[in-house]
Amino acid sequence: MTSREKVRLALDHKPGPVPVDFGSTPVTGIHVSCVAALREHFGLDRHPVRVWEPFQMLGEIEDDLSIALGADCTGVAGRGTLFGFPREGWREWRAPWGQVMLVPEGFRPRAEPAGGLHLFPQGDGAARPSGHMPAGGYFFDAIIRQEPIDEDRLDPADNCEEFTPLSADDIGHWRRVLAGARGNGRAIVGGMGGTAFGDIALIPAVGLRNPRGIRDVSEWYVSLVERRPYVHRVFSRQCEVALKNLEVFRDLAGDAIDVLVVCGTDFGTQASQFCSPETFDDLFAPYYRIINEWVHRNTSWKTFKHSCGAVRPLIGRFIDVGFDILNPVQCSATDMDPVRLKRDFGDRLVFWGGGVDTQHTLPFGTPAEVRTQVTERLRAFSPGGGFVFNTIHNIQAMTPVANIVAMVQAVRDFNGAGA
Amino acid sequence: MPLLSDLTAAVAAGKRTDTVRLTQELLAAGTSPQDVVEKGLVPGMAIVGDRFKRNEIFVPEMLVAARAMKEALKLLEPLLAAAGIKPKYTAIIGTVQGDLHDIGKNLISMMWRGANFAVIDLGTNVTAEKYLAAAKEHKANIVGLSALLTTTMPSMKETVRILKSSGLDGLKVVIGGAPITQEFANDIGADGYAADAGSAVDLAKRLVGEAA
Repeated sequence: MTSREKVRLALDHKPGPVPVDFGSTPVTGIHVSCVAALREHFGLDRHPVRVWEPFQMLGEIEDDLSIALGADCTGVAGRGTLFGFPREGWREWRAPWGQVMLVPEGFRPRAEPAGGLHLFPQGDGAARPSGHMPAGGYFFDAIIRQEPIDEDRLDPADNCEEFTPLSADDIGHWRRVLAGARGNGRAIVGGMGGTAFGDIALIPAVGLRNPRGIRDVSEWYVSLVERRPYVHRVFSRQCEVALKNLEVFRDLAGDAIDVLVVCGTDFGTQASQFCSPETFDDLFAPYYRIINEWVHRNTSWKTFKHSCGAVRPLIGRFIDVGFDILNPVQCSATDMDPVRLKRDFGDRLVFWGGGVDTQHTLPFGTPAEVRTQVTERLRAFSPGGGFVFNTIHNIQAMTPVANIVAMVQAVRDFNGAGA
Repeated sequence: MPLLSDLTAAVAAGKRTDTVRLTQELLAAGTSPQDVVEKGLVPGMAIVGDRFKRNEIFVPEMLVAARAMKEALKLLEPLLAAAGIKPKYTAIIGTVQGDLHDIGKNLISMMWRGANFAVIDLGTNVTAEKYLAAAKEHKANIVGLSALLTTTMPSMKETVRILKSSGLDGLKVVIGGAPITQEFANDIGADGYAADAGSAVDLAKRLVGEAA
């Protein structure tokens, strides 16, 4: 059975070996420091790792590491990074923690007075910095660049500047990456971009030189209550562009893609939700439904929804608006018990994640504790299919490699035991 | 003349315009600024905290209510200062060194203000030395530390150690953030942990000896 067949079985809720994802999306990846440590552990060719996602500093998982980790998925991503510069022109760069890695040409950080680093939209050092890695940090965070808000002049187009039709360069890029991804036997997970409605990680628009509209995180949350008609107009406009791009993308990708990453908007906090079910129904559901219905009507792709946190009260709604897959299944959040999630939603929703806790067990536990938790999660989520193993969100910087290896071995042993 | 309970209801519902208007009307009718705060706004924000804890309202509604309170306080603070009236308790808050996340920290800052604490918000990426200096300068009762990242939890541990060994009399150190647990708080010697902004008010009041 090929990796792709394993994934398709799981996505179709049919029993079989548990497929595994490491690194196919920006929310199922591994920090570049851990990727380097894993390469060394497995005795793979020693060379600087590429940072394919510079915001969270995720490392590229090349074919040899994919095989070592037992990964069954390959990710295909758009041409540009979150910072708006393309993934090309790779050169060496030494990170503050001493690791030498490969970064795109547009990745030109500059030291800031407090000892951290600033990164610039589209690699333009003349623009205001849009990313900040504090001293001692391992990731970038968005710098909020909010112009004064004139309520009478708010224009939805300002909040849609980043949502544009796929360009000739984009299309050329997609042709290349899709051709490269075919034939390795793994399932292909694609993120076209532009289909995430109100993703708070994207609202500050770190890729734009001068973002306009509502770009401050708190202002955006306030807007869900106080500027709801405006947010509707933003989503509506974004949705129009996304549907046109989906047609182009469908013609490019066809059946090569197995999973479309639709949206990373977080609806859960550690203990609750970011919005009420009524807000979800009114503000988000109509647009998700349009996207998911289009995908299901026109392709064989499954749709992937990422949302951290305690989202149990919204899971039924995610299913109703047409999502096939939920990630990262944050079992450490309130009311996210794996057994109950599987019992209540497992026949209608694929759980992609939930494999091990990256807040506590994986970074701070022992290999034995990792193994125990991974095995418990596999037992809870895998019966009858509908489960793709992944950590709960990206593996964070400086996670002990022995713990990651214990996790990989636990999955291998579980599958080897014929579960 | 409007009632203080009208103001309480307006701020709890996040009605900014009504909150400001009612504050002005109550002051004009002779209600003391202290009563407007303590009997009008503070009970309103307590309702917000309770509803948040019960998942009846969520982050956007809490932010909107806090903004309404903030607008009213703009009118009230000069009057309170002129009368020499200060909140009884002072809290310092910030996100620990190496961490730039502030949504949760900002919510707690607002809710502590809403419970009539003086709040000094040090922002994000705050060193242990800055927390300590601010605690000394403002004679703080409580210091609140926030962290979102697993990689900054060691920084939180070190900050708690420095604050708790500073010898500042009666200073309580409380922590919170997505990866933080009561167990971690116990391990690193913090005086308390709160899972959400509503609970953080209860915790702060309990630690300063007020009934939560």
